[in-house]
Amino acid sequence: MSSLVAEAIQAELGAYEPWPDNACLYQPYQVEQITFPDYANCLSVKTFLHMCGLEFHTEVRTNAEEMSPSGKVPFIHVGAFLVSELDPIIAFVNTRGFQLSRDLDEGLKSEMRAYMALIENVMVNAELYLAWIDEAVSEEITKPRYGYIHPWPLNRLLPWKKQSNVRARLDSIGWAKKTMDEVCDEVKTCCQALAERLDSKQYFFGDKPTELDALVFGHLYTILTTRLPVSRFAEIVQQFSNLTAFCTRVEENFYKKYGRDF
Amino acid sequence: MADDVIDLQVWKGDWGLPTVDPACLSTLSYCRFSGVPVKLRKTGNPWRSPSGELPIMKHRNVTETKVSEIFSYLRKQNYGCDFALSNKQSADAVAFSSMLEEKLLPAILHLWWIDGKTFVDFTRPWYTKVLPFPLNFFIPGQKQKQASLRVYLTKGGTNVSDTELEAKIYKEAKECMNLLAYRLGKQEYFFGSSPSSLDALVFGYLAPILKAPLPNNQLQNHLKMCDNLCSLCNRILLRYFPPDPEEGAKKKKAEASKSQSSSDLQEFPNKKRNMVLAAIFALTAMAGYALLSGIIQIDIVDDSNSTSDKTNSTSSYFSKPQTYNNEPVFEDNDGYDDE
Repeated sequence: MSSLVAEAIQAELGAYEPWPDNACLYQPYQVEQITFPDYANCLSVKTFLHMCGLEFHTEVRTNAEEMSPSGKVPFIHVGAFLVSELDPIIAFVNTRGFQLSRDLDEGLKSEMRAYMALIENVMVNAELYLAWIDEAVSEEITKPRYGYIHPWPLNRLLPWKKQSNVRARLDSIGWAKKTMDEVCDEVKTCCQALAERLDSKQYFFGDKPTELDALVFGHLYTILTTRLPVSRFAEIVQQFSNLTAFCTRVEENFYKKYGRDF
Repeated sequence: MADDVIDLQVWKGDWGLPTVDPACLSTLSYCRFSGVPVKLRKTGNPWRSPSGELPIMKHRNVTETKVSEIFSYLRKQNYGCDFALSNKQSADAVAFSSMLEEKLLPAILHLWWIDGKTFVDFTRPWYTKVLPFPLNFFIPGQKQKQASLRVYLTKGGTNVSDTELEAKIYKEAKECMNLLAYRLGKQEYFFGSSPSSLDALVFGYLAPILKAPLPNNQLQNHLKMCDNLCSLCNRILLRYFPPDPEEGAKKKKAEASKSQSSSDLQEFPNKKRNMVLAAIFALTAMAGYALLSGIIQIDIVDDSNSTSDKTNSTSSYFSKPQTYNNEPVFEDNDGYDDE
């Protein structure tokens, strides 16, 4: 459960329990199934847990999306709790006493939350747009991957249903009618803001990573490394050298150093 | 020059605010901050807008309706209050405006349009009053549908129930207000001592929550606890939207006529009772006269009689003058010979 009641219970019970050894993160199959918006979310969560120094192992399931308490991947299984999506996972981890941004003062914390909201508002929607609304990408990449594990006719019906859900969601905020150019402009504005904020620092708020760093890494790394018919987002991100250097740095410090897989 | 004036249509105002809608209020306050020459038209009619939404900004041949597009158009025309901001502060402004849209707007939409009690008691009557016929029949329902789609599709999930969603939305909104309060601190405006586009956006979202007399307003209670945000809103209102003397006189007139009509209403129940009694009395008098003068006659017919008697009595209903002792007028032996 990712509800308010559950969080209150977690604060009561979880605070006394140490992080177990068998903590699990569930996600869809990486090579054949997962779509890149979901992959960005999974990578953000994994990076966050690595940054906190929490051990977990990754379970791949074809029906991870249906298993999740809120219908979105990834979700973690810790002790008796199932928590999905990055924000509830951050809150859950905080109740266990692990907080990356504990040294920041209130003004900086609010700036951090604002930048995280910026990523959610712009990057997540832009990725959904590119994956599901853009003709080339949705027909060639996203829909085949999403329906990969199902037999005919489910492998046609389920992606179509998901596409109309995503379209309705983007329509409710006015993104479905945007052209590709407008979406690229939004991405560029977002990257500009992030580049300004990062400047020449190691991480966004000094020398130690915070939740924002995990989130930004997840999304930017996915955009840079996913091979798509339309690579305009990658070109936009590459224009900002400090962002690409940031991604390389996080990859180096939290993945390559420990030999971890993505 | 005449064509330099920007034409702006916004929703009507109420409760001390120049306009009621958050987007219109943000646009209007940005124009006031930057000193843009604006011709303001307060309407209740969004029908002419290309996207069906207010505010509508028209300048030369360009029409824009979304707040971010209006801001960027005004910046291109060199009207702006963001020139003093550094790059980092502009980046912060972008981030905070996203946070407002992501965390605060769903709660505002939920409170105004989706919460049953507020919608029926407050929002729908207000919009029905302001919209012209025949739009007032379907636009409130349309806006409610748009608001609920936006909230449920972006914040809901497959297994998330309505109460959980509501709790989540309001919790995020209160956190957002706390974060804004922390960021504002003791400063006058978010980026120093002169207002910027972020102040315009924050004012646009917070002022309706603060001023609107909503029945059940947990957001308002929370906002009142954030002193610096309340004083920011009041300061902007006093400085940039001084109460208009003309509008104040109009409002006084409206209130006076309202009190007059309410005093009429107090006499009205008696009036109605008197009218009903008079009507009953008149009807009784007329019916009595008709019976007495023979225009209408009521015969009591025996069942054992032949049909001829019956026809006699039926013919007597048709205004034939009758004598009082019920004898037909034309008798056979009255002196006229048939020969």
